[in-house]
Amino acid sequence: MGMRVTLEQSSSAAESCVAVLKERFSGSGIESTVEHHSNAFKMPFVRIHATPQHWLAVAKFMKYDLSVNYCSMVTGTHFPDGPAERGWEVAYHMMRMPVSNVKPHTNTTHVAENLSGSDIPLEFEVLIALEQGDEPTVPSIQKIWVGADWNEKETWDLVGINFEGHENMHRVLNPHDSPEQFHPLQKQHKLRYHGYNEMYDDPQGFGRKPADEGRNK
Amino acid sequence: MAQMWITMGPQHPMTHGLWTLRVKVDGETIVDTDAELGYIHRGVEKICESRDFTQITPYCDRLCYVSAMTWANSYIYAAEDLLEAEVPERAEFIRLISAELQRLASHLMWLGAFGPDIGSLTLMTWCMRDREMFLDLLQELGGSRMHYNYPRIGGVKRDIPIGFADRMIAKIKLFERRIEEYEMLLDESTIWLVRLQGVGYTKAEDMVDAGVSGPNVRAAGVNYDVRWAHPYSVYDQVDWEPAVEKPTSVKGADCYDRYRVRMEEMRQSSKMILDAIEKIPGGKNTNYSTGDEMILTKAPTRAPEGATGFSNYECTRGASQFFIKGGGEGRGKNPYRLSIRSPMFITIPFVADTMIGYKIADIPAIMGSFDPCIGETDR
Repeated sequence: MGMRVTLEQSSSAAESCVAVLKERFSGSGIESTVEHHSNAFKMPFVRIHATPQHWLAVAKFMKYDLSVNYCSMVTGTHFPDGPAERGWEVAYHMMRMPVSNVKPHTNTTHVAENLSGSDIPLEFEVLIALEQGDEPTVPSIQKIWVGADWNEKETWDLVGINFEGHENMHRVLNPHDSPEQFHPLQKQHKLRYHGYNEMYDDPQGFGRKPADEGRNK
Repeated sequence: MAQMWITMGPQHPMTHGLWTLRVKVDGETIVDTDAELGYIHRGVEKICESRDFTQITPYCDRLCYVSAMTWANSYIYAAEDLLEAEVPERAEFIRLISAELQRLASHLMWLGAFGPDIGSLTLMTWCMRDREMFLDLLQELGGSRMHYNYPRIGGVKRDIPIGFADRMIAKIKLFERRIEEYEMLLDESTIWLVRLQGVGYTKAEDMVDAGVSGPNVRAAGVNYDVRWAHPYSVYDQVDWEPAVEKPTSVKGADCYDRYRVRMEEMRQSSKMILDAIEKIPGGKNTNYSTGDEMILTKAPTRAPEGATGFSNYECTRGASQFFIKGGGEGRGKNPYRLSIRSPMFITIPFVADTMIGYKIADIPAIMGSFDPCIGETDR
């Protein structure tokens, strides 16, 4: 029969993580809260608002004290019209997974309802707001989670967030000879042909002009 | 012996798509590797910023051309988190069935492509024959063979047609016997065993640290599965167990374990579908009209600034995730930023590292056993 981690298990795990985080990082401007998704089972997750200067300390604490062993996703966002202290945002999604090496000819078959303590799978969302400017920079966590390596490469490539201390940074999705400072998910780059009227009036596209014509790219 | 770099790809049978693996060899032994991706980067994340939430589903279908239904579902759960939509239970059952049918089709495509890599061309023809059954079933739901545009925010596009359940049950029962046929063909084939066993060892903890997920981790002996760990849909109500292998070495799972775990996963998906169709609320032989509240509820079309949606979904190759920020153009009609996490994007560089120390002839076996799909990798 199918199984699932229950809401109570997840909530208690999330709350204990938040309690530990609050105790360790009190007074340093790092906020952690328990939030709930609004789809499916309304599962809770831990949301942490960190600052670039404290991020490495928080990351190490998450990895070694909260046993967060999986860095699944790094998302950069550009807010050119945002306030001065939030021109960019980097969001990390981390998971805690009850996975460890097994002895030969054995396996681990967790039963979701019986998991307790730091074995309960949990989701973490870390948000780091960066100031307006041309050089958004956060420290790299490549050394803490191997999985962050290519995620950070992708985020730099597409959004242009600099990861300080990242080794072997290079383009991964864009062509390797893309111009420097070209990061397509920054908001000054507009999609060229997305006006619907334009599309229907001139389906062949002969009369179209790029939306960013004349802009220095 | 002199060392040299060999470029395999972008057009190479081993790649299963367009990417380049550069290997540094010393004689026949691999001493260094380098993966180059991005050949079919289409900028889906950027395109989605100027599409409204319902228009994004077809783009997500096209992220992975062998597993369209799971990717569309993955996006839908993130959009439902963002827009706070409720889903009727019948729709959740239909989604579960459609996703598991897609998992069967996708694993068959993997097996069919993996066989010729190893030297079993028969497998390709057998798998394509059986995959056709599931593509026909999915076509009945979505109207096309590959890209269905089937799930909707708040439900599904159409109900299951009359007679679909009976056709599906017959096909799944046939397929359960076919799995045994595959095993007879493969598990007793010397070529298959020699080329897969003892090749491409990976440990569970290393994989998790590097961001690998899904069947590849379960092959290393841990039954971690997003479907129970970060639950969605109605997987807790149907009969199944996560497929998990017992690796034979301290070095972790080899290519043979990864093949076995996918065969087991096909069995579990079949079991799940047979159970779900019997438990579906409203009955398996009823057909509610399009837009009926049994299969679709009305969802908001705009998301305010500051709202976020996130989904963690067990795709056929691992955990696929979507992160959406609301508040884009048209007073929140479009996402401000949509970010896609592809399991294979993280896995391919890890597999490239795994190959170090093995021979050139092992590359297709190791790479193929992780089930690469470049459509989702490059987005």
